[in-house]
Amino acid sequence: MLPVTASGTDRHDDLVLPLWRALVVFRLVTWCFAVAGVYLRRDEIDHMAGAVAVLTVMAAWTGVVTVGYSREWGRRWPFATVDLGVTLICMAGTVLAYSLDRIHGGAAILTSVWAAGPTLALAVAAGRNGGLIGAGVTSVALVAWRQRITPVEINNIQLLVIAGLVVGYAATATRRASVRLRAALAAQGAAEERVRLSRSFHDGVLQVLAHVKRRGSELGGEAATLGVLAGEQEIALRSLIAQRPQIASGRSDLCSALTGLQTTTVDVVVPAQAVLLEPHAVHELTAVVGEALANVRQHAGPDARAWVVVEDLGDAVAVCVRDDGIGIAPDRLSQAEREGRLGVAQSIRGRVRDLGGRVDLHTAPGEGAEWEITIDKPRDP
Amino acid sequence: MTTRVMIVDDHPIWRDGVERDLTDRGYDVVATAGDVGAAVRIASAARPDVVLMDLQLGEGSGVDATQQILERLPDTRVLVVSASAEHGDVLAAVKNGASGYLVKSASGDELDDAVRRTAQGDAVFSAGLAGLLLGEYRRLHDEPEPDAPTLTARETEVLRLVARGLTARQIASRLTLSHRTVENHVQNTLRKLQLHNRAELVRYAIEHGIDDEESS
Repeated sequence: MLPVTASGTDRHDDLVLPLWRALVVFRLVTWCFAVAGVYLRRDEIDHMAGAVAVLTVMAAWTGVVTVGYSREWGRRWPFATVDLGVTLICMAGTVLAYSLDRIHGGAAILTSVWAAGPTLALAVAAGRNGGLIGAGVTSVALVAWRQRITPVEINNIQLLVIAGLVVGYAATATRRASVRLRAALAAQGAAEERVRLSRSFHDGVLQVLAHVKRRGSELGGEAATLGVLAGEQEIALRSLIAQRPQIASGRSDLCSALTGLQTTTVDVVVPAQAVLLEPHAVHELTAVVGEALANVRQHAGPDARAWVVVEDLGDAVAVCVRDDGIGIAPDRLSQAEREGRLGVAQSIRGRVRDLGGRVDLHTAPGEGAEWEITIDKPRDP
Repeated sequence: MTTRVMIVDDHPIWRDGVERDLTDRGYDVVATAGDVGAAVRIASAARPDVVLMDLQLGEGSGVDATQQILERLPDTRVLVVSASAEHGDVLAAVKNGASGYLVKSASGDELDDAVRRTAQGDAVFSAGLAGLLLGEYRRLHDEPEPDAPTLTARETEVLRLVARGLTARQIASRLTLSHRTVENHVQNTLRKLQLHNRAELVRYAIEHGIDDEESS
């Protein structure tokens, strides 16, 4: 199933939600700061009634943005812009508490840190640029009321700009991550769906191939040839779908690699669990088994069948390649060894020795040959 | 007495082909079904001796069908005949009571032989199934759980030779055992796993307080 996508422009904003919640908390906390500021400066304030009136308006507006930023309609730049306007009016409201002269002289603006709220809201809604615009407008307003630029104002402007930039970047990065996450989830869903579909599709194809093989061999003649061909393709497809994906942590599955060697005359017998080895070991073992099977095709006789058996022994892995062909007489083996032309046997032994493993060969005339390869498993990291 | 066979498969072409084939060879094909629900219902009424079970039944699974049929008909035997079964599914079916596994491309003679042996109560073992069982015993050994079944040295030896493609007769001669003893060893490896699986199910049911079955 593909993940259901929400409608509207807000659909990539799931991960930004915590930022909006933080903003609401910021507004409530900074309103308390503003109240505390007025209380602490109660003796300096010219008109206490005016200050209380401004704080009341700020409280009401904090209530409005708490609702707005908790709703989808409020989490956009237009509402944040309205927030900015109301906040500027509240800043201007400082004239109700202090005379203009005192404000120009550096008297505290009543809104204090609360005034940074819209800058953060614009940053969350519209990213870095939104944050910069909010910080710029608020800074201009601050300088306009004060009509001076001292280190105090510069300090405030710096903090506003930095807050707008940082929150803006964070919101943009989070939004991008959200988009990618959704894309990844959609891709994963699509891949799972494809696996599910291909499984039933493959099953259908296998059914037909198996049927053609069975009927073909019963009918004989040309149909039998078709049956043989169908049988080969059936095994190739069955091996393909039996291959399991490589497993992470730098190991790969020996069973999956060997399953690819299955043919109408070669059975690959594996446990249901993956047998994990270093990729190099898997590559070498697959090559070794391939050599042994090539040897079976060349020397074991036309009707020989072969079995490749993978066994997990706990701390080691055993791979056995057995055929039911004509076998090798002991004198022929030692003769070949004396003449220094053991070919495949030498190659197999060399490769397995390089992996730190052991090889045993059991063979007798008429009993086929049985290669036993054992290598130690890597310890768990 | 002729063996009563039921074919459970969601592909009509396969059902018809095998039905004709088995009828020609003297079997009594008493029922066919294409999905899990029908398979369980019809099997309960037709009471076949042997059920040929595909593992991929459209949306359903032959593993479930196997378990449900054997719950109702403990004397019936289920032979898994599957085209593309994944190793895990084959293992699950066998643990739930299926007594053998055959790939669909097996020839008519192989199928005949497998059905006959299943009806006699023998386990039908391919090299592949032996490999899966060896792996499963290894897994149980590695994950120490109470009363996990273990194989005797002889059973392991026999199972390894089956995995290497030796016939029961070849194994008997190599280990100087009787043919019957080899068959018994092979069957034991399967039976221990099925008993363990049933005990696990019961334990799970008790631990999770499921007393009246199928209440959920």
